[in-house]
Amino acid sequence: MKKNIRPDGKEKVTGRLKYLTDLAFPNMLYGKILRSPYPHARILSISTDKAKQLPGVQAVITHKDVPGLNGFGIVRPDQPVLCKDIVRYVGDAVAAVAADSIEIASRALELIDVQYEPLPVLDSPEKALEASAPLLHPDGNVLHRASFQKGDIEAEFSKCTTVVEETYHVPRQLHAYMETEGGVIVPEKGGGLTVYVGTQHGFKDRFQLSRILGVSEADIRIVSSPMGGSFGGKDELNIQPYGALLAIATGKPVKIHQTRQESMRSSIKRHPMMITMKTGVDRAGKLRAHQTTIVADTGAYATLGPAILDFAVEHTCGPYLIPAVKTNGVSIFTNNGVSGEFRGFGGNQITFALEGQIDRLAAAIGIDGIDMRRRNIRNEHDLGPLGQRIAETNGASDVLQSAAAVYAEKKRLLSNQDPWKRIGTGMAITMHGGGLGFGRLDPAGGRLSLKEDGEIEISFGFEEAGQGILGVIEAITTEQLGCAKEDISIVIGDTSLVPSSGSTTASRGTSMVWHSLQRLKKPFLQKLLARAAGIMGMKEEQLSIGPGGIWQNGECRLSFRELVSEQEPIIISTQFDFPVSPDPIDSAHFLYTYSGVVAQVEVDLLTGRINVGELHQSISAGPVVNEMGYLGQIEGGGVMAIGYTLMEDVIMADGHYVTENLDSYLIPGIKDVPFDLQMKAIESLPEEDHHGPRGVGEIGTVAVAPAIANAIWDAIGLRVSQLPVKPEAVLKSTKERGVLHGSQSSNSGAK
Amino acid sequence: MEVNHQTAGRNETMSVSFLLNGEHIQLNVSPVARAVDLIRGELDQTGTKISCGIGRCGACSILVNEKLMVSCLLLAYQLDGTSVTTIEGLSSQDEIHPIQKAFLEEGGFQCGYCTPGMVLATKYLLDSNAEPDQHAIQEALSGNLCRCTGYGGIIRSVRCATSNQEGVR
Repeated sequence: MKKNIRPDGKEKVTGRLKYLTDLAFPNMLYGKILRSPYPHARILSISTDKAKQLPGVQAVITHKDVPGLNGFGIVRPDQPVLCKDIVRYVGDAVAAVAADSIEIASRALELIDVQYEPLPVLDSPEKALEASAPLLHPDGNVLHRASFQKGDIEAEFSKCTTVVEETYHVPRQLHAYMETEGGVIVPEKGGGLTVYVGTQHGFKDRFQLSRILGVSEADIRIVSSPMGGSFGGKDELNIQPYGALLAIATGKPVKIHQTRQESMRSSIKRHPMMITMKTGVDRAGKLRAHQTTIVADTGAYATLGPAILDFAVEHTCGPYLIPAVKTNGVSIFTNNGVSGEFRGFGGNQITFALEGQIDRLAAAIGIDGIDMRRRNIRNEHDLGPLGQRIAETNGASDVLQSAAAVYAEKKRLLSNQDPWKRIGTGMAITMHGGGLGFGRLDPAGGRLSLKEDGEIEISFGFEEAGQGILGVIEAITTEQLGCAKEDISIVIGDTSLVPSSGSTTASRGTSMVWHSLQRLKKPFLQKLLARAAGIMGMKEEQLSIGPGGIWQNGECRLSFRELVSEQEPIIISTQFDFPVSPDPIDSAHFLYTYSGVVAQVEVDLLTGRINVGELHQSISAGPVVNEMGYLGQIEGGGVMAIGYTLMEDVIMADGHYVTENLDSYLIPGIKDVPFDLQMKAIESLPEEDHHGPRGVGEIGTVAVAPAIANAIWDAIGLRVSQLPVKPEAVLKSTKERGVLHGSQSSNSGAK
Repeated sequence: MEVNHQTAGRNETMSVSFLLNGEHIQLNVSPVARAVDLIRGELDQTGTKISCGIGRCGACSILVNEKLMVSCLLLAYQLDGTSVTTIEGLSSQDEIHPIQKAFLEEGGFQCGYCTPGMVLATKYLLDSNAEPDQHAIQEALSGNLCRCTGYGGIIRSVRCATSNQEGVR
């Protein structure tokens, strides 16, 4: 493991790094977007006359000013850029303004007169499915259905001696990236547009903007990196179309940087889901039947809602072998914001429910949760959850074994406690697919060049959102080529400079950088060595690449600069697809990562407050590329999931946001998290594995909630089925059962 | 007399003068302008970030007369007569501050957007407490939110900065 300092580190700790929302250009205007005051309404009229007359206003645009397709969305463009007749959530845009200052732009928004006729608000999936419900989209209120079935579910249930059924509710979570959406869109002198706005897939933004603006993709340049966090939240378009339309209308650079309130109102969130699971075991403690229904509130528009539901369905069984499975999922349109892509991608929701079932079953048959998991865990050669062949590793049992050891240790070290406090320990495991899945376009690629100045340039169409892709690229490139980090330059996040690498999502970046280098390395080194051999009058076999240039007999004999002088640069490119299963099962994943989480909580019986004192994650994701980056992803993911479990809930009432900023939507602060987070990386892969390091962007978030839920049960005997776990729920449960004044063994009553 | 609070003061300005990272600044500001907008805008010191705008997240933290403050809740005119240090004032082109070095080497950042505030909050802590314990670190950084690191790297950075500081003495 290497503890490399990240290439972007110095600029970040000194504050010198220019984020795209820090940029300023001469003659720059400021944009503001007018969004609907109603969660569902018909637009009767829009008048922009008064706003246009306000001194300092340079442009006011509405649906009439969208030259191309008035819609966006990664899967289907069902979200209007600027609404014409209907608004479907309070983030729907109706008009936008560019002005000389933010103040004037804000004032102009107030002068735009839009008349609405409010329509019934569908603020829950249940309401949206009622026969009398208005249809939010032409095809109705069901965005997507996904299902999976294997075995004879009824026959297997009949063999079960114990069956547990529970309904789980998980909340709407805000990504809460510290840098809200924004940037500058600049019309270029020779025509064309440069869009300096963060995203997780620059080429996809270019495609979507081209469609909206009616401009060829060649005339749009997307500069999409760096970002102050994204976590999936900036994958879909946000302010880009408005900035672009305003820049075209005015011929001047337009900056839009959303305030936190504007961000809360318009941004996508994690899907709230209601998951009902009925799961049975036989006398031997073997899982036999597992029946699940998933109802997801996808909000007003599609974005990646269908794929997220598919992912949840795939991960319904997690790393367990169950002969009969029946899963039905449905994703429903409502007037509640827009749900979309978020780190974990449906896996977090379903894993909370699944691991809850495992713990309930273990308790019901009187065995411990680790034993229960051991009896049912998948092995290296077992098929994946949809019956597909997957890249074989021992990840599932490795993380279980590791977590079991940690669990035993934490239990043993339980300290004395105040009489009004209870400590509990819990664990959970999961497996999580990387990449977009079978049947989805999932291309990747990269380019390696020896440039005229002797610099080795490695470039990818990825973005740096904070996850550390720059550190990964530096580490893998220098390791694979044998050169020093001073020899290379990294180019990412600019469609005018980089090859297409696919999206910077789905834990695919690290994997794809490694796979690219596997393909680029050999031809690149061959060309370098052949040229060096010619110059030096030696045989290629005598030479190798090392720091600074070409090495022979332990010394650098020819610099990279000398190698390229007066000769053509060397450029090698590669294009390939993310590896998928040989079995053609739609959406099935091939590369999985695994985690085993142990959490220890302290519950205050007087206040109901839960404090997570310990969080230990064992991760199996292949070799660690960069120790600090890996650790940061797992620790940061873990804390984000502590927030999901105990604090975070984007509350909506009648389709309006109740939580509008970080004073009412609370994310973990330093006092809300364990002071010493712990992580163990299990790096081993089977010898025949040729997929290298897997990405760890998501896995650290997935199995934390059920581990904490399990610890809460251990502490106070409360079976958690709804997140976040609020102090009120704890107090209600403990008071009802007299936990404070009862025996120490607080969960005995629940068995 | 009816006062239109919406527009009052829009066209008036006030003169302010203060030290920004040791450099004398004198300019006219709107009486309703926030300090953060002056710093990020006219003064182009974009190391000071803006995130919640309500004093909760600490991304816009600056030192005013060596005290940690959130510049989104300060009005620009309130800087008059003060000495302001932003993240840019901690390092020169050649040399970075030991706290910044600690954040760099211990991975106390990921996206980096909260980092200027975190570094300044750490400086404010260490200026008054050379050997902060767990409680002191938690207390000092509780006004600064980070969404990426889970605080693990930040805590290691503060500890590293503390021990580096001991080594210097």
